[in-house]
Amino acid sequence: MAFLEKSNWVVLVVGVPTLLVYLFVVVPQVLGQPIAEISWVEPMIVTIVVFVVANVLGNVVAAASNPREADTNDERDREIDRLGERVGNWLIIAGSIVALVLAMARADHFWIANAIFLGGLAGSLVSAVTKIAAYHGPFQRW
Amino acid sequence: MVKPTRVTNSIRALRFAAGEMTQADLADRVGVTRQTIIAIEQGKYSPTLEMAFRIARVFRVPLDEVFQYPHEQDGQEGQG
Repeated sequence: MAFLEKSNWVVLVVGVPTLLVYLFVVVPQVLGQPIAEISWVEPMIVTIVVFVVANVLGNVVAAASNPREADTNDERDREIDRLGERVGNWLIIAGSIVALVLAMARADHFWIANAIFLGGLAGSLVSAVTKIAAYHGPFQRW
Repeated sequence: MVKPTRVTNSIRALRFAAGEMTQADLADRVGVTRQTIIAIEQGKYSPTLEMAFRIARVFRVPLDEVFQYPHEQDGQEGQG
């Protein structure tokens, strides 16, 4: 398995549970109490920190397991990476546009922050899935 | 998103003819990962022209002995 593929598996293995835990903490509050009273800042910060730190550690472990492979990437890796980033960026942009509209509509900070946060996290996950799929299926530039 | 390539290749046969060169050896000599050589051999990835030339150079054969493109049904040669 190419190092970049391992790296994207790390994103998925770390990102999916992290996102689920965040939703598990926040969604019941959204359903049960006024938005202004929801405690969302701390869970969001913890989620972001855990996601970033776990990704770094996962990549370090993946690189340590095969240092030579970690230093090697070629044009196929770079093209797959570009494709995945392009797909993932659409979700990040979508989240940002939703946040912009919510800000214009003077929505609560909770909704604006979550639109950006969920757009970013979903973008990372979809990008990782796209890259892993490209590694396993046929992948052509045209 | 992805259409299978019509480009075929003889890399496996050429490796065999070159003293049963491994995919890892070929990858090292071309400067790519072994996974990329596997993907090319299986027709899952079409390399750039530059990589194609590097592969052909390893085997010391012309490019069209490594990669082939099928003729069109009307007899005209396909582009590729």
